[in-house]
Amino acid sequence: MQSWRRRKSLWLALSASWLLLVLLGGFSLLRLALPPRPRPGAPQGWPRWLDAELLQSFSQAGELPEDAASPQAPHGGSCNWGACFDTSKCRGDGLKVFVYPASGPISETHHRILASIEGSRFHTFSPAGACLLLLLSLDAQTGECSSMPLQWNRGRNHLVLRLHPAPCPKTFQLGQAMVAEASPTVDSFRPGFDVALPFLPEAHPLRGGAPGQLQQHSPQPGIALLALEEERGGWRTADTGSSACPWDARCEQDSGPGQTQRGETLPNATFCLISGHRPEAASRFLQALQVLAALQEMSPARVLALRQQTQFLWDAYFSSVEKVIHTTLEVIQDRIFGTSAHPSLLWNSPPGALLALSTFSTSPQDFPFYHLQQGSRPEGRFSALIWVGPPGQPPLKLIQAVAGSQHCAQILVLWSNERPLPSSWPETAMPLTVIDGHRKVSDRFFPYSTIRTDAILSLDARSSLSTSEVDFAFVVWQSFPERMVGFLTSSHFWDEAHGGWGYTAERTNEFSMVLTTAAFYHRYYHTLFTHSLPKALRTLADEAPTCVDVLMNFLVAAVTKRPPIKVPYGKQRQEAAPLASGGPGPRPKPQAPAPNCVNQIAAAFGHMPLLSSRLRLDPVLFKDPVSVQRKKYRSLEKP
Amino acid sequence: MLSVFEESAGYRSVLSLERLPDPQRTHVMWATSKDFGMSGLRFGTLYTENQDVATAVASLCRYHGLSGLVQYQMAQLLRDRDWINQVYLPENHARLKAAHTYVSEELRALGIPFLSRGAGFFIWVDLRKECEKEAVCVIMCASVKYNIRGPALIPRMKTKHRIYYITLFSIVLLGLIATGMFQFWPHSIESSNDWNVEKRSVRDVPVVRLPADSPIPERGDLSCRMHTCFDVYRCGFNPKNKIKVYIYALKKYVDDFGVPVSNTISREYNELLTAISDSDYYTDDINRACLFVPSIDVLNQNTLRIKETAQALAQLSRWDRGTNHLLFNMLPGGPPDYNTALDVPRDRALLAGGGFSTWTYRQGYDVSIPVYSPLSAEVDLPEKGPGPRRYFLISSQVGLHPEYREDLEALQVKHGESVLVLDKCTNLSEGGLSIRKRCHKHQVFDYPQVLQEATFCVVLRGARLGQAILSDVLQAGCVPVVIADSYILPFSEVLDWKRASVVVPEEKMSDVYSILQSIPQRQIEEMQRQARWFWEAYFQSIKAIALATLQIINDRIYPYAAISYEEWNDPPAVKWGSVSNPLFLPLIPPQSQGFTAIVLTYDRVESLFRVITEVSKVPSLSKLLVVWNNQNKNPPEDSLWPKIRVPLKVVRTAENKLSNRFFPYDEIETEAVLAIDDDIIMLTSDELQFGYEVWREFPDRLVGYPGRLHLWDHEMNKWKYESEWTNEVSMVLTGAAFYHKYFNYLYTYKMPGDIKNWVDAHMNCEDIAMNFLVANVTGKAVIKVTPRKKFKCPECTAIDGLSLDQTHMVERSECINKFASVFGTMPLKVVEHRADPVLYKDDFPEKLKSFPNIGSL
Repeated sequence: MQSWRRRKSLWLALSASWLLLVLLGGFSLLRLALPPRPRPGAPQGWPRWLDAELLQSFSQAGELPEDAASPQAPHGGSCNWGACFDTSKCRGDGLKVFVYPASGPISETHHRILASIEGSRFHTFSPAGACLLLLLSLDAQTGECSSMPLQWNRGRNHLVLRLHPAPCPKTFQLGQAMVAEASPTVDSFRPGFDVALPFLPEAHPLRGGAPGQLQQHSPQPGIALLALEEERGGWRTADTGSSACPWDARCEQDSGPGQTQRGETLPNATFCLISGHRPEAASRFLQALQVLAALQEMSPARVLALRQQTQFLWDAYFSSVEKVIHTTLEVIQDRIFGTSAHPSLLWNSPPGALLALSTFSTSPQDFPFYHLQQGSRPEGRFSALIWVGPPGQPPLKLIQAVAGSQHCAQILVLWSNERPLPSSWPETAMPLTVIDGHRKVSDRFFPYSTIRTDAILSLDARSSLSTSEVDFAFVVWQSFPERMVGFLTSSHFWDEAHGGWGYTAERTNEFSMVLTTAAFYHRYYHTLFTHSLPKALRTLADEAPTCVDVLMNFLVAAVTKRPPIKVPYGKQRQEAAPLASGGPGPRPKPQAPAPNCVNQIAAAFGHMPLLSSRLRLDPVLFKDPVSVQRKKYRSLEKP
Repeated sequence: MLSVFEESAGYRSVLSLERLPDPQRTHVMWATSKDFGMSGLRFGTLYTENQDVATAVASLCRYHGLSGLVQYQMAQLLRDRDWINQVYLPENHARLKAAHTYVSEELRALGIPFLSRGAGFFIWVDLRKECEKEAVCVIMCASVKYNIRGPALIPRMKTKHRIYYITLFSIVLLGLIATGMFQFWPHSIESSNDWNVEKRSVRDVPVVRLPADSPIPERGDLSCRMHTCFDVYRCGFNPKNKIKVYIYALKKYVDDFGVPVSNTISREYNELLTAISDSDYYTDDINRACLFVPSIDVLNQNTLRIKETAQALAQLSRWDRGTNHLLFNMLPGGPPDYNTALDVPRDRALLAGGGFSTWTYRQGYDVSIPVYSPLSAEVDLPEKGPGPRRYFLISSQVGLHPEYREDLEALQVKHGESVLVLDKCTNLSEGGLSIRKRCHKHQVFDYPQVLQEATFCVVLRGARLGQAILSDVLQAGCVPVVIADSYILPFSEVLDWKRASVVVPEEKMSDVYSILQSIPQRQIEEMQRQARWFWEAYFQSIKAIALATLQIINDRIYPYAAISYEEWNDPPAVKWGSVSNPLFLPLIPPQSQGFTAIVLTYDRVESLFRVITEVSKVPSLSKLLVVWNNQNKNPPEDSLWPKIRVPLKVVRTAENKLSNRFFPYDEIETEAVLAIDDDIIMLTSDELQFGYEVWREFPDRLVGYPGRLHLWDHEMNKWKYESEWTNEVSMVLTGAAFYHKYFNYLYTYKMPGDIKNWVDAHMNCEDIAMNFLVANVTGKAVIKVTPRKKFKCPECTAIDGLSLDQTHMVERSECINKFASVFGTMPLKVVEHRADPVLYKDDFPEKLKSFPNIGSL
């Protein structure tokens, strides 16, 4: 009975549900058997043609390879690099620039531009030897228009620098001259030939320049998301409040508090909309494109990257007249160099193309700055460069200590004193090269072609180091290849009493320089020291030898914007530490360089690049109360 | 429908359509039992506008309100998108696919007709032959792991009723699913399914007669730019930042006399349109499109009649002076003067052209594209490693102008063996293969294979500037030496050709050899690699060319979402190895900003208060944030908290998770964050202050106290966690560590894979995860400060004992191995240094030292 009822109910359930299934689904299933019809409105896509395989190629046989062409003369009318610039003149020394002297009174900006060119390594006084002739088009204020210069030659190899848009009626045809100006129009700008400049305000400093205002790595410190440029230099800010903002009046702040006047600080906004010549078009533009919504969609990571990049670009290329002008010349030089121009990475990541010389290398991994981006690492060896000044004792112990390092690749001795070369040198497994001859102090940082490693250990004959110290310092340097890693330090400070910078080699809780008489750094800094520093500064270092340390520290700090690194030095407590004698030269006591030196260099840099550090990098188990046997650099701790 | 496992079949929810195709007959059902194999939780939805169906279903009591527990569980499950998207779905799809493949193969072997769909775990089988009684049988193919466990949760009742209901329900359910699926399924698969896409011949396309006097567009406007001739408003703001491209239907155009205007379509143009149609850019809705691509083939100007083609363009339904229309042309111009841009009048239309010169190219408007080389598809040249090759310079073009050939031969005379100048073969018997042969005197070479023998390959201007040989040269990994004045190289708007080629002015042809010799070997090798990569990414197929073109236009319209220089130009090997530090600008945060201490706590109030008191003594502390991780207990009353000189905030969390400590709370206003456990009372104020100052010098790193190391265990062949006192460190404990608050954002939102959930589930290793994350994104090592080796915590010896426990070490090692596999690499960097104050342990008066109170282990 029981089983019968169960079977019955099961039977009932089955038949009922089959009925339902047929009702609901059967009709649809019928369609399976029918050929499908294309549905109107459904995505069709591009058809798969039955005879797609049979279609002919777009280039019929016989057409490729095609007819020959005859060599063409350059078109008239417009210029490009290949046609209108004669690089043969630049073959010898690269880019050499002659500037036409100004005729008549000149403005402050004009003056600064001239000064920045004359101070650069590109400048030459002879128009005949120059490969680029630079003509500053006169300011509109003076109302005068320049006449055609002597060596004009239809403008070939000329650069016309225009500070204000076309002030003069065309007194002469620009012809084949390049034009560098702010806000060129699309119609007249010749890409790859002309140069677009930023607008240079009257107050723009000659060199140095204010650093970017971004003080923190933060995606959105601004209260407002977007600021709109208005006429007369005012700004109007748009709030982030409503995300679905249709950009009508409700979205804008009251024009009262939101507006600032020219000269006041920029609005505290994440984005600024600059609409060129038509500020009134901006809001319409916004309305249509819904820029606001799009900006809000932007990921914090991207905003963060963009913000940092603006600061880098400002600091590397825009912040002073000198930078703008040097960038212009560097752009032109890159065109001349062709294949040995700066790779894009060098232009677009710190420290920028002005500080990463393409004459050093065009491979980013040769520089100390790009190992992360390149996925490369600095070489695992170093070259010791020992300067032997007067009195000229061969540094035998030092050579042995350095040669004992497993990371040492070669030792170079710069023999720079009156004494004759010693006949014998200590027996080491290291290749030892002696470079003889009396040299200037700045020659310590000459890029000798015999240096074959990335790292240099710069030493003075009177330095005293142990192998352990060298090993550890080098391992640290490998983690910070762009910085200087040194043993002894000194500091700069603002001397209120004298109203200038002071210098001290006293032991303090912080430091901003390491002495180059015992320091690791990248070989690239030799190139930079010799080829990018103004000649006047190198002369200064030669005349006051203690300055050379300061100068090298300034240079590295200006490039890296980071303090140097100090590692432990065992003989620190010895009195009159031999290392602390500053630069080479016969001096009785360790002494600070003339305070003038720091001030002169700071003036030449236009700002104070040195930064202080309060830390020293020690081995992980340094002076820990554990067994010495566990320690890798145990001899570092010996008194 | 999460069970669409066929990658090629994009799933589009019927509910995402603007309106339902047939509201009365479209019913959407979804339940977790299918997509999640969770038939145990009876959770499902029915969406219908058909009142009758709703009533019918309601009377079955199938749909009713669910218990709070079930709802809560479902909410938790569905909220965990990371797990669903990255873990569950790939696995589920893989299994479904495997099961589907197995069943369909069996069915095929049995000769049973069935309907193959790339989704679900059903297969519709036509058993009319096999089953004599029933019209259709349904086979349910439950995939490997999912068992239908319906009865378990159905309320207890008498056995007979249970079976009755189970049977009834399951069958009714099947029926309903079948109905639902048939109503909406075709939408998701029509575009890629053989059943529905028409198979027609190009000869059957509609014919359009163009009257002789039909309008002709203006000639191209040379002053056109995106902001003058392109209507960006059509593209609008688009959440995906992707332009929508419409393709006109194929027509055959004839003139008054019935003579065709051009060949209907070439093989390449058909491929190109197919590629666009298959891409994410495609739309079939002409009203939503922002870019229109005519199906009129103008790839080769020589195969078409210029005036009539222009007329054909003008009569396109949305032509509007060519605004937002894109034409593809590879062979422009014709004899005798060979213009460098397509001669067909096209008004404002964008031109993607091969062989632009600076005179015809509208910078930022047109797109310069390669001339496709058919050899790309015909010849397989395996990649050859960079390095010196047999010939330094080779010229393999035929039909060069005699003047150029003279120059090249002069080079060959001067430099002997290292230069090879080839020409076409005159003495070959079969003419058909002559395209693939080149000769030097009587020596015969295979083309393009011979290009792989050379370091540099000359690409000279022919009658046209754009030459297909450029593609062959790149394919061979040979560095192209482009001698074609004013030629706009393909995709030069985004590709950095300096990295892959040498451009030499025609005037300097005789100096080519010395120019090339001045390039360092290392740079040459870079160029060889780059050349090959350009070919692989942007030249090798029509599809690659089409997609790169659309991407460039897309980048212009959505510049804020544009692809970066690196993404366009860096070969995959570089992309893989390189790190772009998110905090790349060398800034030193001002000390005045200070740091925010974040204390994660559960219920150790006493210890917490001590930590707060200790930390508040650190001069640079600017705010204290307590993350209250205990949901069962309220934090102490305000009056009980220690009185400190900085703001103190308490954040209550919704769940006791370890990752709460790394959440980017709005309350964090400083860049620097000090994460500190509620039992870390042993750190001195000097140690903490010094740690903060070290962080300021290394703001992109993790700065912590006790260091730890990862080691490779050669016996077990895996990573091992090491807490012994070693000479090296690669991690710091985050029981107390300084780092940039940006890493909180990364930890919470950008942590790869399932690491975050894994950490929360295991209640361990959040610090190792943070170390991995920071090292991976910055490529830099941690900074260990001060000699401290461990956090000794007198009151919590049990915890400390646990951390020494062997199982704990094993677990930590497991974490390292797990994370290394998720990251696909071992990002941790090992260093041998730690940071101490400048005068630490120096022979110097202690009272003059800035941080005297440092040194306990």
